[in-house]
Amino acid sequence: MEQNLLEVRNLKKYFHTPAGLLHAVDDVSFSIPGGKTMGVVGESGCGKSTLGRSLLCLEPPTSGEILFRGKNIANLKKKEMKAIRPKIQMVFQDPYSSLNGRMTVRQLIAEPLLVSKLCRTRAEVDKKIDEIMDTVGLARRLDMAYPHELDGGRRQRIGIARALILEPEFVVCDEPVSALDVSIQAQILNLLMDLQESMGLTYLFITHDLSVVRHISNEIMVMYLGKCVEKAEAKEIFRNPVHPYTKALLGSIPIPSVESCHKKRELIQGEVTSPVNPKPGCRFAVRCPYASERCRQGDIPLKEVGRGHFVACHMAE
Amino acid sequence: MGKEILEVKNLTIQYRTDLETVYAVNGISFSLKEGETLGLVGETGAGKTTAALGIMGLLPERTAVIPKGEVKFDGKDLLKLSEQEMQKIRGSKMSMIFQDPMTALNPVLPVGKQIGEALYLHNEENLTNSQIEEKVEETLELVGIPKERKVEYPYQFSGGMRQRVVIAIALICNPGLLIADEPTTALDVTIQAQILTMICNLQRKYGTSVIMITHDLGVVAETCDKVAIMYAGEVVEYGTLRDIFTGDRHHPYTEGLFGSIPSLTGDSRRLHPIEGLMPDPTKKPEGCWFAPRCGKCTEKCKKQVPPVYEKDGHQIRCHLFDEQDTEEVQ
Amino acid sequence: MNRKKEKRNAQIKEFWRRYKKNKAAVTGLVILCVIVGIAIFADLIIPYSKCVEQVGADRLQWPSAAHWFGTDEFGRDLFARVIHGARYSLFIGVVTSLIALAVGAVLGASAGYFGGVVDNVICRIIDVFMCVPPILLSLAVVAALGTSMRNLIIAITISCIPGNVRLIRSVVLTVAEQDYVEVARSYGASNARIIFRYVLPNAMGPIIVNTTMAISDMILSAAGLSFIGMGIQPPSPEWGALLSAAQTYIFTSPYLLAFPGIFIVLSSLSFNLVGDGLTDALDPKLKD
Repeated sequence: MEQNLLEVRNLKKYFHTPAGLLHAVDDVSFSIPGGKTMGVVGESGCGKSTLGRSLLCLEPPTSGEILFRGKNIANLKKKEMKAIRPKIQMVFQDPYSSLNGRMTVRQLIAEPLLVSKLCRTRAEVDKKIDEIMDTVGLARRLDMAYPHELDGGRRQRIGIARALILEPEFVVCDEPVSALDVSIQAQILNLLMDLQESMGLTYLFITHDLSVVRHISNEIMVMYLGKCVEKAEAKEIFRNPVHPYTKALLGSIPIPSVESCHKKRELIQGEVTSPVNPKPGCRFAVRCPYASERCRQGDIPLKEVGRGHFVACHMAE
Repeated sequence: MGKEILEVKNLTIQYRTDLETVYAVNGISFSLKEGETLGLVGETGAGKTTAALGIMGLLPERTAVIPKGEVKFDGKDLLKLSEQEMQKIRGSKMSMIFQDPMTALNPVLPVGKQIGEALYLHNEENLTNSQIEEKVEETLELVGIPKERKVEYPYQFSGGMRQRVVIAIALICNPGLLIADEPTTALDVTIQAQILTMICNLQRKYGTSVIMITHDLGVVAETCDKVAIMYAGEVVEYGTLRDIFTGDRHHPYTEGLFGSIPSLTGDSRRLHPIEGLMPDPTKKPEGCWFAPRCGKCTEKCKKQVPPVYEKDGHQIRCHLFDEQDTEEVQ
Repeated sequence: MNRKKEKRNAQIKEFWRRYKKNKAAVTGLVILCVIVGIAIFADLIIPYSKCVEQVGADRLQWPSAAHWFGTDEFGRDLFARVIHGARYSLFIGVVTSLIALAVGAVLGASAGYFGGVVDNVICRIIDVFMCVPPILLSLAVVAALGTSMRNLIIAITISCIPGNVRLIRSVVLTVAEQDYVEVARSYGASNARIIFRYVLPNAMGPIIVNTTMAISDMILSAAGLSFIGMGIQPPSPEWGALLSAAQTYIFTSPYLLAFPGIFIVLSSLSFNLVGDGLTDALDPKLKD
């Protein structure tokens, strides 16, 4: 078995809010082998973005460990962190607000290089920028353009170029395609997969779109209100979903084929409840059609139901 | 199915500023029968929303112009009506649901008041206040909100619940036509499924016609009877759901759109996107708008605007079909 | 780089196209150019010696071909005094606004960007200053320091700072929430770099507009303080001081009040109009 590039152990991130303690990420563990992709799926408010951000260590986690190449980076000092930073980069969701509108494409892509001081000469920086622009499919003539002159797909390519110019090993992709049109979305997904192959990247791919995550991931983790409810190989989760929430998610996707016309669907009722001061027990119990008294009593640990298939549900026994 | 309620013919909408002209909608035609759902599908900038606003008469007055076209609703041409006459129709005979439920509601009015507003304004049956209140409560229950919540303010509702309120506002006058502009795009999938099912049920119950504007072919498949695929302000393909989703005669753009969707069942890992970008809507091409991105583009496509070819009601705007057993329309 | 230049030109063109739409702003710009021209070339228009030259025979003359704006009670040429007075007003207006901008940018940006304790301390101090009406604040400062050009500048700068801090803080607050600030952090940019490369450039629009408008206020404050004798002292031909000296002759020689008054109004108005035009031209949301 390959060595895990990244391992997360019992990661918790709580926020203090006026209403109480918000459990954004609550006791999540997983590991990603080098060169693979872990997909994280969930609805808004399930803590998937917070999880991604915690991995960048911009804010220290409440507790837990983040092992990058076997080294815990969760509570490193500023100086030590500086050496690790270029290795872990992020592609952001919104290609509109994640680019500084006062900089040209060239300046935007150069920024990480200048900040990290990895390049010595101006010529070296320029060469790298030209290379990375070719890699992500940005025409070089655009290098003096400002982001507002470009469309969403091209902007997202800038975002990817900016993340990759430091030659990271691990990239967190936080909904990189959800703001894009379908035809552009497919271009970007293909690009991300090609880059993974050619540069040997490891991804954490965060999205709410199950069909997208199926395409790009090797393993998928489903989150609900800060908890990981199911985790398995990508194909396994689609073939054999066990947790009622995963089933509901899969059942809710509108499928573009004639057979789905006016069909009856199994819906889950209710809406996502608040992750502030959650009650003990399964967070999904309120909406779950199979919930019993037992589900509301204590936290349910992840159990292995198949090879590498983990579920947090009493039904899975 | 009943009589035709809406007929749009050759509708053209442009935005003119002193710098440039944006060709937003370029001669679209479609029709809608009572109780039917039409899906308007396309990507950003395809002109879906502009077309809807044009039908509703809500285009920005300063910049938008409608050089030609006809919008027949209940036998009347809406484009010829005065603003006052349009006001009478909007909200009572046809209404619209907007994409973002977070900004579509007035934050300082209780939702019950906002739902009742349209009834007060279009009070044709001379309902008393208590009758209106009753109707508001009834509508709330209809969209799945307990009637006790009518005194609450929008901030007390979640996104999905707000969209239900928006739908209640649109439906309270029992409009003949409902235009839903990406009603579920801002919502999570499980909530989207709830809302779509609800819209379909209500539609069946009241025989409302719906124009469903969306970019999601999955949503179309689940809700629509007819589909119009839009690209750069034109309807490039138009037909029944079956015409669009099955068969092998399609506009190249439709094929590209289907190829771009990551499938939930297939095994191929690579997607087949449409290369290139949406065309600049300020520069009208000589030939087909899609030509620069089209894999099957010929010399003719670059020079000549393709006409619409029709076979059994299935219309395609593409030169590829001119030698086949189709009938040219328009 | 040639392409860089082209780009720049295109941007300026676009900016000018939008600015041009506002006719009042164009008028303001024309007036402003004339006044700035007067201030720069004052010595070419009429030598400074004319301001101080007292001709006893020509006391309190109405405007004529020899003395375009007439003469004052000492027989000094009012035209020369008003022309050279432009230098004082513009200098004071621009300098005070720029100092206030610099201080406001540092304090406001720190308050908005760092938040928490820094924000609290800065805001409370600003609140204290805000309690005192600006003109009283200036008066107090001048009373404490004594009257001179330098003290006048200090006095009205201080009265202008609190408003600047508040404005810049609020703009920075909205900009600092944008994703690109977090992006910058994700590759390890320092706080100073983020503030100067990301936050302030994006907050520039409203700040430029505010500064332009502030110049107009500063010109008025300076004239006001000089008028009540707390600013620049006669015989310096500052417009406010000119007004003050002319009070006595308001009925017999009203032109002594009219000309400096017109210039104060015009210069203040022109900055205001230009500021208005900049608001429209710099706001990308109002494109087209």
